[in-house]
Amino acid sequence: MAEKQLQSSVRAAEFQKNWFAQLRKDVFEDGKPYAIVQADMPLELFQVLDVPVVSNQWWAALVSAKRLAPVYLDGLNAMGFHDGLCRYCSLSLASTIAGDPAQAPWGGLPKPALLAARLTCDCIQRVFELWAEKLGSIFVPLDVPGASELPPRWWELSRHRWSELLEAHRIDFMTAQLRSLIGVLEGISGNSFESERLRELMEGVNRQEEYFEEVRDLICTAPKTPVRMHEQMSNVMAAQWVRGSDWAIEHARQFRDEVKARAEAGIAACPGERLRLMWVGAGLWHDTDLYTAFEEQYGAVFVWSMYLAFGPDGYIRYGLEDPLRALASRTVSFNEQLHNPPWANEWIVDQAKRHRIDAALVLEPLGTRPSATGNRFIERALEQAGIPVLPIAADMVDSRGWDGAAMRARVGQFLESVLDSVS
Amino acid sequence: MPSAIWTLTDTYNRRSIATTAESPVVGVTSNTVPWELVRAAGFQPVLLSPRKTSTPLADRYMEGVFTARIKGIFDFLISEEAQELKAVIIPRTSEQEHKLYLYLREVMRQGLERPPLPILYNLLHARSHETESYGLDRTRELKAQLEQLSGRKIEPAALRAAVEEGNAAREAIRELLKMREGSLPKVSGAEALALIGAWYFMDRGEYATLAREALAELEARLPLTGPRLLIKGAPQDRPDFTAAVEAQGAIVVAEDDWWGSRAAGGDISLEPVGLKEDPLEAIFEKYYADAPSPRVFPAAIADEWFCRKATEVDGVVFYLPPDDDVLGWDYPRLRELLDERAIPHVMFRTACAEPIAEFLEILAHG
Repeated sequence: MAEKQLQSSVRAAEFQKNWFAQLRKDVFEDGKPYAIVQADMPLELFQVLDVPVVSNQWWAALVSAKRLAPVYLDGLNAMGFHDGLCRYCSLSLASTIAGDPAQAPWGGLPKPALLAARLTCDCIQRVFELWAEKLGSIFVPLDVPGASELPPRWWELSRHRWSELLEAHRIDFMTAQLRSLIGVLEGISGNSFESERLRELMEGVNRQEEYFEEVRDLICTAPKTPVRMHEQMSNVMAAQWVRGSDWAIEHARQFRDEVKARAEAGIAACPGERLRLMWVGAGLWHDTDLYTAFEEQYGAVFVWSMYLAFGPDGYIRYGLEDPLRALASRTVSFNEQLHNPPWANEWIVDQAKRHRIDAALVLEPLGTRPSATGNRFIERALEQAGIPVLPIAADMVDSRGWDGAAMRARVGQFLESVLDSVS
Repeated sequence: MPSAIWTLTDTYNRRSIATTAESPVVGVTSNTVPWELVRAAGFQPVLLSPRKTSTPLADRYMEGVFTARIKGIFDFLISEEAQELKAVIIPRTSEQEHKLYLYLREVMRQGLERPPLPILYNLLHARSHETESYGLDRTRELKAQLEQLSGRKIEPAALRAAVEEGNAAREAIRELLKMREGSLPKVSGAEALALIGAWYFMDRGEYATLAREALAELEARLPLTGPRLLIKGAPQDRPDFTAAVEAQGAIVVAEDDWWGSRAAGGDISLEPVGLKEDPLEAIFEKYYADAPSPRVFPAAIADEWFCRKATEVDGVVFYLPPDDDVLGWDYPRLRELLDERAIPHVMFRTACAEPIAEFLEILAHG
């Protein structure tokens, strides 16, 4: 694994490990309820009702980084789940089925009080229903209607004019579902929902994302990126999972300060930076070293992924007179802006221009279909903007079939052609 | 004069979208679009399911993760052939259809293609008070969109007439199913898929008449013999897999599939007080609560039909083709359920003659 250049990265890793250890202690020793949820769920509701959450995607990334995905997924396949099924969203289920706490990251997941998922695709209800049954917990789904009003430059509306961006009937529907979810969480936690507490938390989320926006701007304007992409990802996501909390806001501020200090001092993540790369798609969690593999030979530095960039554009909601409705507006459209046309292609090209991107690597997920859609439009739009694109066929968490050396050679060839064209 | 069986089978095979000035055609992409509403608006609703061996137009925009059926529909909709359609209604009862809608909107926005007007019908299938209430509102919205498209109001009388027309066709299908499912089936599965599937491509009044004639023709046949199977898996928009299974000596008497045994379901009931005056709510309920889709939740509801039907057959064949990424999640659970009831079963990803024959051999020897 590449060195950590930022102190913030060290703090983020420590926080996550300690947070999870505390969670296990709270659950096992004090019987405190917690939830396993999809990453696109409104985590704020769980926070205000004091129900900690473990994100399915975070756990899957952890399992993958520990090189446990092949054995867990082989186990799932051996049970009769064929190998064409989604892996990113089911790896954590596979880890539960494997049921080996000695091998699992950090002792494994304790039994949650509930599981919850936004029905973003057709399979997630199945994965979570199976998982809930396996764990002996309940499953709460949030269904999602489709959008039919699609203003392309959504990020110009999402903060202040979210009620215009998203159709009122979609927001109303999601708000009604969130009320039902609140009822379930109140029953589990014994706490009462307070709208004011949600407003305060969402204001905290806004502050946190504003810090991330400053970091994003620093990356855009600094002559060379002061922070590597994989450190952006780890710092941002450590905060996003507990977003709006005191720790998350403070961490975002420290991260901003550290990146700002580096930028002002002219410290580059890669002093030999010649090419600025964009990674489109979820992280390649089983081989994050890929993100620094082209710095030395080509001066090619990954400067952009959705994880930092989406924070300010996707999460911030101003105008919190009705915080639940504001939260519903984010929940109903979450994920669509990253994978569906026109939102994904328009936003990614805008981001590429702002970040002075020279070339883009676009993940074509092998085993997570909803994440694979929208790619052709994204690739076309990038190429039309003069940005060369290399599609990367790989799974985010499953290293089976992944040939890291061959992929590095392929990316190297691509970068040589990019360097030829810019020189 | 061709037989009713021939006419229905030919209609199923041709999948024509022939249009007339009196009844412009509106395409629909699956079973969860309320046929009665489109019909009452003065349109001829036709299911889009073109048979394509390649999809060069769609391949420009769609990733490999889309199923062949969705790619085929998209390819058709951005081709010149689709210009005859007044609109296409796409239900939000599968994620791939939702994406199909977005892709159509995008190629239009970018001025790349000129498909017919896409309309999203935001029907949700996770059962809850919220989705039911939301779905009814969206059905009212669809009615308003169709009224705008046709330039005329949809009157309750027109809805009632369409409901009666649709129900007559449903009744004929249920009669046809009886002829498949009894102890002495007189129609093969592959043939039944065509006889039932024709109703998606024609006037349902005409369908009901022809289906009844077909029933009379079938009645005169000798019963088929062989192990009676149920197919569970990917929707079969063509009968090839069923035909491959039957070529080995089995009879497919049912499939958990909106192309076959689950095409009709129950009638749209206008009996409850008030529904005769405005049947819209009854129409919505039919498509909300009695129409299969991959997004029906919870599994206990989605599996109800299968669990009942599996006890009436000699064996179950699961069909999970290579592009499946949904139903494979159900397979181990359903397999376990069949094991508990001692119902023989097998799973295929493709139609290979030898393993099918082996399974039938096992059935034959108990």
